Amino acid sequence: MAALYRVYRQLTLPVHVRWEIYPVQHESAKRRAYGGSYMEDVDWWKSPYETSAVNELKYMTPEILLLRGLWKENKRLWWLSFPFHLGLYLMLVNVVFLLIAAVFTLWSPTTYAEGGILRLMMDMLIVASGWFGIIAGFIGSLGLLYMRLADRDMKLYATPADYFNIVYILMFFLCALLTIVFVDPFFVAAKSYLLGLLTVGTFASTYQPGQNVFGALTIVLASLLAAYIPLTHMSHMFMKYFLYHKVKWDDAPSRPGSAIESAVLQNLTLKPTWKAKHIGADGKKSWRDIASSTPNEMP
Amino acid sequence: MKTLLKPADIAINTDCLCRIEPGELAPLPSPYEDFNKSIPKLLKPEKIKNIEASLDDTVAIGIPKPASREEEEARVLQFLSGLKKLFEKENNWTFLQPLLLSMEHCARCQTCSDACPAYEMSGRQEIYRPIFRSEVLRRIHKKYLRPGGKITARLTGNIDLNWKAIARLAELSYRCTLCRRCASVCPIGVDNGLINHEIRKLFSQEMGIAPKEIHDKGTVQHLRVGSSTGMTPPAAKDSVEFIQGEMEEITGYKVETPWDVEGADILLLHNAGEMLAWPENVGAFAIIFQAAGLSWTMSSEAAGYDAVNYGLWYDDVQFSRVAVRHADIARRLKVKKIVMGECGHAHKALTVIADRLLTGELNVPRESAMVTLENIVMSGKLKFDPQKNNFPVTLHDPCNVVRAMGIVEPQRRILRKIAPHFREMTPHGVENYCCGGGSGFAIMSGYNFSEWRNLVSSRKKFLQILQAFENESQETPKYVCAPCSNCKGAIRDIIGYYHAEERSHLYYGGLVELIVNALEGMKKPIINFGDQPSWE
Repeated sequence: MAALYRVYRQLTLPVHVRWEIYPVQHESAKRRAYGGSYMEDVDWWKSPYETSAVNELKYMTPEILLLRGLWKENKRLWWLSFPFHLGLYLMLVNVVFLLIAAVFTLWSPTTYAEGGILRLMMDMLIVASGWFGIIAGFIGSLGLLYMRLADRDMKLYATPADYFNIVYILMFFLCALLTIVFVDPFFVAAKSYLLGLLTVGTFASTYQPGQNVFGALTIVLASLLAAYIPLTHMSHMFMKYFLYHKVKWDDAPSRPGSAIESAVLQNLTLKPTWKAKHIGADGKKSWRDIASSTPNEMP
Repeated sequence: MKTLLKPADIAINTDCLCRIEPGELAPLPSPYEDFNKSIPKLLKPEKIKNIEASLDDTVAIGIPKPASREEEEARVLQFLSGLKKLFEKENNWTFLQPLLLSMEHCARCQTCSDACPAYEMSGRQEIYRPIFRSEVLRRIHKKYLRPGGKITARLTGNIDLNWKAIARLAELSYRCTLCRRCASVCPIGVDNGLINHEIRKLFSQEMGIAPKEIHDKGTVQHLRVGSSTGMTPPAAKDSVEFIQGEMEEITGYKVETPWDVEGADILLLHNAGEMLAWPENVGAFAIIFQAAGLSWTMSSEAAGYDAVNYGLWYDDVQFSRVAVRHADIARRLKVKKIVMGECGHAHKALTVIADRLLTGELNVPRESAMVTLENIVMSGKLKFDPQKNNFPVTLHDPCNVVRAMGIVEPQRRILRKIAPHFREMTPHGVENYCCGGGSGFAIMSGYNFSEWRNLVSSRKKFLQILQAFENESQETPKYVCAPCSNCKGAIRDIIGYYHAEERSHLYYGGLVELIVNALEGMKKPIINFGDQPSWE
């Protein structure tokens, strides 16, 4: 819900003035290389505004998956942040695999029979994503916690909430690690849990070794984490879309009759209430009125 | 050892929150070691007894001290009222989405810190760290304006709010040049430069607090008299007439500046400061446009001969007023396009930011002079002798032209054609460093602010310039090409402050001067190195 609210709020905010920063990655390959823009052309407004989704993807894929920006600008942090993010990504992937496995189990049991190739493949994927994800996430979150405590610059700005967040995630990975090491290395209980979720607890599973304290804690912490992340700055995982596409790379020019121009016209009817004398706002005059007036202190 | 300052310390009761000690600034190489122990000159107590000066021994604004406790409290409430408005669409549709995104998603990873030249060159003084002021604003916003904020502040970062904190935050917003290098390196896309911009807006738009050079003598004078230089329309025409005479002497043929030509293809907008401080720039444009046979004009209407828009740095309303005035002049002249002269912030202001302000007939197309000039130089219409520019040249990239607009290559293609000894600074292009005069700093010299600028914010650029020419002998004259008036002003000041003309034979100027200097058929060079002409 919180994630949806965040996204909804962004979608309903008024069009803002342009504030892009170059390089803008949907430019042509030639221009991306040095950070050029369409404004380098004579009479640029006579050409259609074109963007390349492929070029954007070429940039965003390694940015999302490998944190390329952090690697370029802050390698010391990357060595910890990358396994941390990789751990979270692989946990998501793991849940998707578990869901697929559950769907097959419920609705296509013959193609998903014990000993079959599909079953074998899914089991391997679940175990691999789970183990790699949990180990990477544990190392990353432990390292990030250490860095926040030990690095002078980061410590100066860290708030109790920052420590809570990282300790919380570390606890999740720790519980998950203890579970797979000591109780359930093949994610049998996780599969049962997902089956139970999909069938609202009606699936007749006879084997539930995950019912130990760490396994239960892992499930509880994971569920709460999914609900908690959108409430914090960690929502940058998905809000980065807006930070990049709606600000950093938003270079779309306003053309006569365009949707942007309509939105700007709408904005100009808003009535500001800024109090400084030179503004001359009274809550009745619109931005248009004020922008075409002269400052109050003028004779 | 110095106490480590935290964001909450902005409210502590002390006469000076941060003092730069001798030897703390980043070291300069030979022959400038004698500046390594320099610090900004302290202001005399009688000069600051009635103004707020407790941030860092430097004063940019000069905010009057409140007369009473009640007035202090009223100012605190005024601040909170303004802060609230920053998050309302009626008051801040212009930047609401970028502000919200940057306020809510910072991971405090400090990746931005190393990108900031002011922070680095200051010897890493905590208060100049890009995140410091952002974090102050973030905590105040969370604690004082969010429901339950005073309870959750212990978790999300506590901070006290008093008049001292507010006055310091206002001053601190004028220790960032808004170069946005920090934003360009943030892996998440958070923009501390933007947050700083919004802090300045809050103070100006709600509390009427801004440096007098950019408000009273800047946008207000611009709208009232016609130019932030104070030049009236007749004075502007007189200046240009004088420049024409000078140019005639240099070029050997008569240069005519067309004024108020209705239906011309191009309205050329100069920073009017060029007419007073660098008249050869205005003259060189006229020579090139005339020689290329362009249909162009200048406007003699108030504000129409001065491209600056200082509102860009501190006040959306003042920004809008100036932008509308420029666009309306172009509309009435019925020109096909506006060409922005060598003024970086004017480029961004009218071309990019005003793009979502000007609608209908006011949306007259705007083009950078870098682009227009490249078209002329590469067209073959003019003949050049590059050997006339037979001296080392480096290019300063104005942040507003390059990082904020992506106009990177046109000026370089020109230089590669006409300047055989052109070399890049490191880094350059969209990764450039600010001249240190950005966001109004180049024109702010009240109190002791210019000292801080020369010693701290311009220091990185000075180092870059020295590095670009490190393989040249001290005696060789060297040219820093800075196609932006404010950048030129900042570079002029660092050359003067560090005696770099005497010690390193450093000179500076614009791009059009280099173009005209290499133009065939000129009687005399337009570029001189002190008393020495650049060619005989």
